[in-house]
Amino acid sequence: MSTTAPRPATARLSNGEAIADLARAEEGLISRRIFADPEVYALEQERIFARGWFFIGHESEIPEPGDLVTRSCGIDPVILVRDDEGVVRVFLNSCRHRGMRVCRTDRENASFLRCPYHGWAYKNDGRLMTAAAEEHYEEGELDKPNLGLIPVAKHDSYQGLIFATWDPEAPDLDDFLGDMKYYLDIIVGRTGGVEVLGPPQVWDVETGWKFATDNFTDNFHVFSAHHSLVELGMLPNDPDFASHGHMIVAEEGHILHLTGGAPTEEYELFGLPHELRAQIPDHLTPEQVEMARRTAYSAGTVWPNFHWLQLMSSGTIGQRDVPFLNFRLEVPISPTRTRMWSWLAVDRDASPEFRKATYETYARTFGPAGIYDQDDMENWEDCTRAALGPAAKQHTLHHTMGIAREIDESWPGPGRAYADAYGEMTQRSWYAAWRTYMTREHRGDAGPAGEVTA
Amino acid sequence: MSALTGGALLPNTDEYGRVLEFLHHEAELLDTYRFADWLELFTDDVAYSMPVRTTQFLTDGEGFHEFGFFVDDHATLMTRVKRLETEFAWAETPPSRTRHYVSNLRLERAAEGPELEARINFMVTRTRQDLDYQMFTGVRRDLLVPDGDAYKVRRRTILVDQTVITATNLSVLF
Repeated sequence: MSTTAPRPATARLSNGEAIADLARAEEGLISRRIFADPEVYALEQERIFARGWFFIGHESEIPEPGDLVTRSCGIDPVILVRDDEGVVRVFLNSCRHRGMRVCRTDRENASFLRCPYHGWAYKNDGRLMTAAAEEHYEEGELDKPNLGLIPVAKHDSYQGLIFATWDPEAPDLDDFLGDMKYYLDIIVGRTGGVEVLGPPQVWDVETGWKFATDNFTDNFHVFSAHHSLVELGMLPNDPDFASHGHMIVAEEGHILHLTGGAPTEEYELFGLPHELRAQIPDHLTPEQVEMARRTAYSAGTVWPNFHWLQLMSSGTIGQRDVPFLNFRLEVPISPTRTRMWSWLAVDRDASPEFRKATYETYARTFGPAGIYDQDDMENWEDCTRAALGPAAKQHTLHHTMGIAREIDESWPGPGRAYADAYGEMTQRSWYAAWRTYMTREHRGDAGPAGEVTA
Repeated sequence: MSALTGGALLPNTDEYGRVLEFLHHEAELLDTYRFADWLELFTDDVAYSMPVRTTQFLTDGEGFHEFGFFVDDHATLMTRVKRLETEFAWAETPPSRTRHYVSNLRLERAAEGPELEARINFMVTRTRQDLDYQMFTGVRRDLLVPDGDAYKVRRRTILVDQTVITATNLSVLF
């Protein structure tokens, strides 16, 4: 595959602007137009949300046959179900007859899904079992074997994380994740597996989805955006405190950082309880263990919109920091409205005490009620409102920090690593992947997403 | 969250009037930014929670879960109040304008001891900057302990009506 993307002539907005010029990732100049513009959003639906791999849920959310949850794949509503044989399946949540949503709860256990409209009923493996008034169809009028629920083109899981795509030409998940698997292993495979606690917190924010996405691997916003916590003595009064570590960019636009905390044993190995730390060498290579040892905070994005946050924080003045692992997803609803999904994950072997402490810390600091996250949403909404006007859309946003940063050739892991946890290397790589998806008419028109060559 | 069994207190009782006045006083404190005074209304061992809710069939229950948006104790509430008192809590700086409405008070005595359970319907409206209203509605269940002529809240469970919170965040207090 070529690493230089040919730019199809059709990748232009109606005003003549080339999509490729809206995300000048190598220069760190990203047009404000891409964040809340209806025309860009319409093209994203076709070129990103119909083609990418999207996080659907975690295997631990549907442990038993018949368990199901309703989610989105891209922006289309889907049912994630474990069928009676134990097979995980993902279907468009829409009847084949008139398109009614066949599942209208957030979660249930069901062997059959019966459409309320005319009563078409499907087995939880997707097969159409009965249609309405079947005796009134003549021979050949109802092709039941081919009228099962519409499955996604592909779905697969990695370390319990279930992803799906509508694009039959998408690479397999294993190839799509590529080098990112090495880092997912460090985060979610460190003790042999994690599970999510409870249902996700879900809330709608008046933001273009990319303002939220942009924020996750950004360490240097913390000192300003979350300065109230500095004032309260809950974050170090040092603007550089989260700058010690590495930012890593992988192919396909996947990005992450591994960041050190205070130089004490408490902040090593994500700050996990000792009984969990003890398991890590059984599941990771020595070089991965060493990376984990130096990490208190990590955020990563599986392109485009699934994130992990592995953080240590406290929701309470004077109490010690507790680690938590947060999974996040942004599902766009409109150019200026985004549904936020947030799960708390915990190592499967965690004690009841740690489960309680990690959930409490997460809920007090992240999610809509979290004393950190609250301020992030405020920023995304105001960024969005300020990107709506014709004057603003003629200007760029600046993602230039670390543009000349040398790759750390000594980094033992895959991907390109930079020995600095402050910088916009990750965002530039993300926007390069966005440009690749947005400028190719067909998958395969361009090289691997996320190549930032400058 | 089962009801207490010490019997209902009706609107024609002094106790009902005192509780209603207490709840109105609390709402006024929140809507006038007197957060430190508001915090005084809670016992040191308060449990303050807002469970996550999901849409499910009624046969599977009302949809409330063990895990919450809020899972706070007194020290956490104090942290939220002190955060609002900094100049940097951007979600509330400049502050939202809120209005806390309290209605449909149902009051019951504990089977033993002086505690009362007050169940109310709540509505909180919020507007900030030049923006449209955000609204939160639901039921609040408060376990109240008599404290002189007033009360302190020992347990507050906020049962929201929404499964998807259609608001920027939950930076307002309930």
